[in-house]
Amino acid sequence: MTSQRISFHDEIARNKRKSVFLIVCVLAVLFLLVYVIGLATGPDYFFMVLIFGTILSLVYVVGGFYNSDKLAVASAGAKKADPVKYRMYYNIVEGLALASGLKMPKLYIIDNSQINAFASGRDPGHAVVCVTRGAIEKLEKRELEGVIAHELSHIANYDIRFMTLVAVLVGMISIISQIFLRSLFWGSLGGGGGRDKSKMIFMLIGIALAILAPIVVMFVQLSISRKREYAADSSAVKFMRTPTGLIGALEKIKSNRPLKVSGAIAPLFLANPGKTKEMFMTHPPLEKRIEKLEKM
Amino acid sequence: MITWIIVGVVAIVAIVFFTYYNRFVTLKNQIANSLAQINVQLKKRADLVPNLLASVKGYMKHEKSVIKEVTEARKALVGAKTIDKKVAAGNQLQSALKSIFAIAENYPNLKANETFLHLQQELSAIEDKVAYARQYYNDGVMSFNTLSQTVPGVWFASLYGFKGKEYLQITEAEKKVPKVKF
Repeated sequence: MTSQRISFHDEIARNKRKSVFLIVCVLAVLFLLVYVIGLATGPDYFFMVLIFGTILSLVYVVGGFYNSDKLAVASAGAKKADPVKYRMYYNIVEGLALASGLKMPKLYIIDNSQINAFASGRDPGHAVVCVTRGAIEKLEKRELEGVIAHELSHIANYDIRFMTLVAVLVGMISIISQIFLRSLFWGSLGGGGGRDKSKMIFMLIGIALAILAPIVVMFVQLSISRKREYAADSSAVKFMRTPTGLIGALEKIKSNRPLKVSGAIAPLFLANPGKTKEMFMTHPPLEKRIEKLEKM
Repeated sequence: MITWIIVGVVAIVAIVFFTYYNRFVTLKNQIANSLAQINVQLKKRADLVPNLLASVKGYMKHEKSVIKEVTEARKALVGAKTIDKKVAAGNQLQSALKSIFAIAENYPNLKANETFLHLQQELSAIEDKVAYARQYYNDGVMSFNTLSQTVPGVWFASLYGFKGKEYLQITEAEKKVPKVKF
């Protein structure tokens, strides 16, 4: 059944394409929202909202972006991995850094018996990789290698930067919607009187959009995140030239109880820390990931 | 109007020319760098061998031939000048080391020796790293060759005088599993 095998090159490209398409969808929603609010309120007010929303969102997300490595490490309660005690961990990362052409990231350990891992940092020069003590103790060497290859793939694919861009856009949509809805509530727009009918209609569409858009783009954002996870799985296979290590690790995670972490850093982890429906998840279900890997 | 169109077209053509030149140079540097990485790992392997032999000598008194093989392979590696010879000598050394580790299974005292265990772990990690560095080298060569053999890269390659690169092959000796006599 060679025809059913998927090449990791195609799979990486496909998932990157899909995630770029999704970001275009988010942009489209943003423009639609801005356009309708503009029609409903008139140019002066509209520009104020747009500029205000953009600045707020940028400040909020870019601040997080520049400190993404430190924030992630701090909120996960990770500690620097000792190079002597965790010699195998260092050796595996050094090997995979050679395979991927990346700089050696900083290595951290979370003192937790569950199996999980994450990577963060705004670019390969500021990357951190973090694994749980459980991952080091419970996984075979090849399995740990697969997990770390997946994390390095996030760094190599610039996923942190990509997801930050998505977060900025999603943030803008939600801030603009908020401002619009609140200003209606305070009645700052209503004072004019004598508005014509078409403006009324745009106002109603604007309200509907302002309520729905943030919810819709949140789901799109989650979907983008899942595409990047598939891409990282495929890139891990590219680095290791075999999917067996990662498959083994995912199987072991499946039979493990989930790790409890704060919601903000959940998307970074190797596998979904909690149990929810796929639509609400930052990661695809383990079964589907294993199934795809087995075809490679 | 016409002048602006001409300026625009010239600018686009220039950008295409620069982009292709830069892509070739970037890949060339990536390949050169991965070659240097292979060298670094081979050097590390050569550096660890004397320590290994020192830790083994006390136990393996009757395994002179294997030890000699390792010493000579190391000498060849240190003396090799070209990357091809270095890689070949590195492979030789790797298979000689494999024999040592296989024989070490018969010496429980040696297997309990911490220095030996540490060196064994490091040398096997280096083996992985050499393999990964070679894989990255070959990936780079593949990208370079694909770029310089497909349209329009092939035109730019001949224009700038970039030639295709050679892959690092697995040698016949490496494909064989090392023989161990007991």
